[in-house]
Amino acid sequence: MARLILLPVFFWSALVLGAVDDSGRVVFDYQMNCQGCHTPDGAGAGSVPTMKGHVGVFLQSQEGREYLVRVPGSATSALSDERLAAVLNWIMYEFAGDSLQLPFAPYTAAEVAPLREKPLNEVDAYRERLLRAIAGADARE
Amino acid sequence: MNFFDKVFEQRSRQLAQRSSRRGLLKGLGALLVGGASIPLLPVARAAGNESPGRPLEEGDPSSCDYWRYCAIDGFLCDCCGGSANTCPPGTEMSPVTWIGTCHNPADGRNYVISYNDCCGKSSCGACLCMRDEGDRPVYRPDKTNDINWCLGTSSASYHCSTAIVVGVAFDD
Repeated sequence: MARLILLPVFFWSALVLGAVDDSGRVVFDYQMNCQGCHTPDGAGAGSVPTMKGHVGVFLQSQEGREYLVRVPGSATSALSDERLAAVLNWIMYEFAGDSLQLPFAPYTAAEVAPLREKPLNEVDAYRERLLRAIAGADARE
Repeated sequence: MNFFDKVFEQRSRQLAQRSSRRGLLKGLGALLVGGASIPLLPVARAAGNESPGRPLEEGDPSSCDYWRYCAIDGFLCDCCGGSANTCPPGTEMSPVTWIGTCHNPADGRNYVISYNDCCGKSSCGACLCMRDEGDRPVYRPDKTNDINWCLGTSSASYHCSTAIVVGVAFDD
């Protein structure tokens, strides 16, 4: 059922924003590598953070953009650089909603490759500091 | 008698001469019975089941051999008052799950299966199945079924496991 709901949104996103893998592989890669914890709609549960309507906030700083690749679930996943970049882009199109500021420069394999070689060992405090910095920058604008 | 009365009388008499009351009943009966039987005709309804996410089903969901249980490690909710898709009453389905793929022999395709645990009651104890296909060591926490997946629920006590089809596997 979730798939049926996701598909129209996915195709709409593909038409409007372009540059997204529409082969079905990206959905499968999300399901197999992310969905178990991040849930089908990216809402998360318990200690799993919510991506839905929020994940685009990280792109407001370069460090935040890199964080999404260096977070262990991304960096140490069994996905190739190309497929990881595709999943990250798909997550943005699918879950970010209004938190994504356009224009969005999609992740590429070349960008992702060096970043995932430096996975974060400690995530919670790093993430908190990052989001505080982004919120602070927003407040100053 | 005016013109309209003549015309109607003429037409009514013509109709009465050409048709019968039984004929009307016959036609009406054929329409009712025939119309009702159209949905029963043997059209290729099986083709509808081949749409993505709706696999052809065969096998017994209360048996460990059932195709969706290829990576299961736990008690079958189907034997505990629930089903392969639903939790038994009084338990809560964990939103955080173990995800893998299973091969469906009925249609020869691979499907993505989400093993949502049902939590909030002590272990069910019926139909213990351990097939573990695709299970990985705990250093791959997202691909190991040896941990308690009652995460994100109000209670962490494990009761039984479902096996829900969430998509079609992408074959390289």
